[in-house]
Amino acid sequence: MIGKAPRWIPVVVGLISIAWIVPLIGIVVTSIRPEADTVLGWWRLDHIQLTIDAWIRVWSKYRLGDGFWVSAQLAGIATIGSMILTPAAAYAFQFLKFPFRRTLLIIIINAFVLPQQVVVIPLFTLWRQMGLIDNLLAVLIPYVGLSFAWSIFLVKNFLEDFPKELVEAGRIDGCGPISTFFHVVLPNTLSSIFAVGILQFLFCWNSLLIPLLFLRTEVPLPVVFAQISGQYDPNWDLRAVAAIVTTIVPLIIFLVFQRQFAGGSLTTSGSKE
Amino acid sequence: MTDVALQSRGGQRDTPPAAEGGARERTALRRWIADAPAAYLLLAPVLVLFAFSVVYPLIQTIWLSFFDIKGLAKPRFYGFGNFVTLFYDGNFRQAVVTTLLWTVCTTALSVGAGWGIALLSALAPRQTLIFRFMIFAAFGVSEAVTGYIWLGIYRPDASGLLNSLLYGIGLGQFAHPWLGDAHTAIWCLIIAYSWAQTGLPLLLIYAATQAISKNVLEAAYVDGASPLQIMRHIIAPLSMPGVRVALFINLLGSLRAFDTIYVLTAGGPVRSTETIGFFMFRESFTQFKLGYGAAATLVLLVAVLIVSLPAIIQRTAGAR
Repeated sequence: MIGKAPRWIPVVVGLISIAWIVPLIGIVVTSIRPEADTVLGWWRLDHIQLTIDAWIRVWSKYRLGDGFWVSAQLAGIATIGSMILTPAAAYAFQFLKFPFRRTLLIIIINAFVLPQQVVVIPLFTLWRQMGLIDNLLAVLIPYVGLSFAWSIFLVKNFLEDFPKELVEAGRIDGCGPISTFFHVVLPNTLSSIFAVGILQFLFCWNSLLIPLLFLRTEVPLPVVFAQISGQYDPNWDLRAVAAIVTTIVPLIIFLVFQRQFAGGSLTTSGSKE
Repeated sequence: MTDVALQSRGGQRDTPPAAEGGARERTALRRWIADAPAAYLLLAPVLVLFAFSVVYPLIQTIWLSFFDIKGLAKPRFYGFGNFVTLFYDGNFRQAVVTTLLWTVCTTALSVGAGWGIALLSALAPRQTLIFRFMIFAAFGVSEAVTGYIWLGIYRPDASGLLNSLLYGIGLGQFAHPWLGDAHTAIWCLIIAYSWAQTGLPLLLIYAATQAISKNVLEAAYVDGASPLQIMRHIIAPLSMPGVRVALFINLLGSLRAFDTIYVLTAGGPVRSTETIGFFMFRESFTQFKLGYGAAATLVLLVAVLIVSLPAIIQRTAGAR
C-alpha cells in the first residue's frame, strides 16, 4: 500500500477475526483439558490443568485409527487417479482433432455445476445391484468421475498457454500423438497437475455424503466423526480430539498450499498487468 | 526437448513425417483421422468413469422421478405424480422456503464479510496477514468439524459459548436453547456455515485488490485522497471481478450444502432446517422413497442451473 495505512485498520480486522480465532482455539483447548473442568465451558480459568488423557483414550473409544486409514486410502487413490487421467484427456481436447471433440468437452466441463445429490440415488441402486455397497470402489469411482468436470477444465486452461509450436515440432519430428503427450506436453504441465491433486485430495478427504451412503463397515474420518457428534454425546474432550484428527491432514495441506496459491496468483496478476 | 525429438525421429525414420507432401487440407483431414484412435485411447478411462458417475446417474435420476418407489417393492410408473405430491407436501414447501433463506443469507453473509475484510486488509496487507490466515484456516476445516465447533457454541445451557457470553454481559434473559428452537435453529446454521465459507471470498477478493495497478493508487494518494476514499472509490469498484466469482462459487456451494446441516441439526427441530439438498437425502435414504427423492433433486438441479446459466454460457462459448 502506498502511503501510511491508518493504525485502526489492523485493530478492526483483528477484532473481527476474533470470531474466527476463538472457536478454532476452543477445540484445541477442549482437547487438552480434563472433561470435568470444561463442563461449564473450555474458556473457564478457575481451575487450569492440562492433560493428554483424551488423546490417549480416544483411539479405543472411537474408530479413529481405522477411519484415518480408510480416509488416507480413499483420498490417496482418488487423487492419484485424477492426476494420472486428467492431463491425458486435457491434452487430447486441446491438441488432437477427433469426432465429437467439442461436444464431449462442453458436456464434461459444464458438469461442474451438478450437486452430488443429483448422482447419489441412481448410484446407490446401481452399487446395490452390483454388490459394491461397502466396497471402496463405490466411493472411488464417483470421486474420480466427478473430478473430471473441473480438473480437465483446469489443465486444459493451462494448456491454452502452452506453445503450440512445440507440439507441432514434436509431430513433425515423427512423434505420434501419444508420444508427443508423454515427451513434450506432460513434463511441462506438472504444476497444473499438482494443483488438481491438491484440490482433489481436500475434496475427497472432507467428503461426507458419498461415503455416508455407500460405505458401511469401513468408513472414512468425516463419517466416523459425524456419527459421534450427535448433539447429546457428552464426551466433549474426546470429540475435540476426534475433530482435530479428522481435519488436521487436509487443514495442513490446505494452509501449505495456500501460500503457493497466493504467491502464484500474485505472480500471474503481476505479470498480466 | 530437442534430444527427445531427435531420438523419436531416429526411431521412426521409415515413416514420412505427416506434414510433408499433399495439400494442406488433405493433411488436416488425414490428421483428423490419424488422431482419432489416439485421442479416444487417451480419453477412454475418463469417458468410462465420467459416464458411470455423471451421465448415467443424471439420466437415471430424471427417469426415477417418474416412478413411485417404496423400499424394495417393484417401481410403479407414476407420471408427474411425484412432482404433484411435492407441490402439495408441506414439508417440501417448507424446504423450498428454507433453501431460499439459507442460500441468500449464507451467500450474502460470507461474501459480504469476506469483501469487507478484504477491502480493509488491502489498505494494510502486512499487518493483517495473520488475521486473514486464521479466517482462511476456518475455511480449510472439514465441514463436519465446523458443525461440531458450532454445536459447542450453541449448547443450550450456560456451557455454550454464546449463552455464557450473554450471561457475561448481563443479557442472561436472552440465553436460549438455540438449536432446539425451530425459530432460531435455521439462523444458527446460517451463521455457522457463513463463518466457515468466508475464507474463500476473502482470498478471491483480496487477490483482486492486489491486482490493482499501483500507479492508480499512487495517483490517488498524490492527489490527496484519504485511505478511506481510496478504499471507497478505487479499491471497492476494482475488486468487483473477485466479488462476482466469489458470489457464484458460494451460491453454488450453499445450494448443495449438506454436511453442516447433517451434523448440527440433521434437519430438525421439526424439519425446520431442511434444505432441498437435505430433504432429498431424508426422503430417499431414511424413508427409501427413491422416486420421490429424485423428483426433489430435480427441483434442486433446476435451481442450480438457473444460478449457473451465465457460467455455463461462458464456458460453452469458450470451449475451443
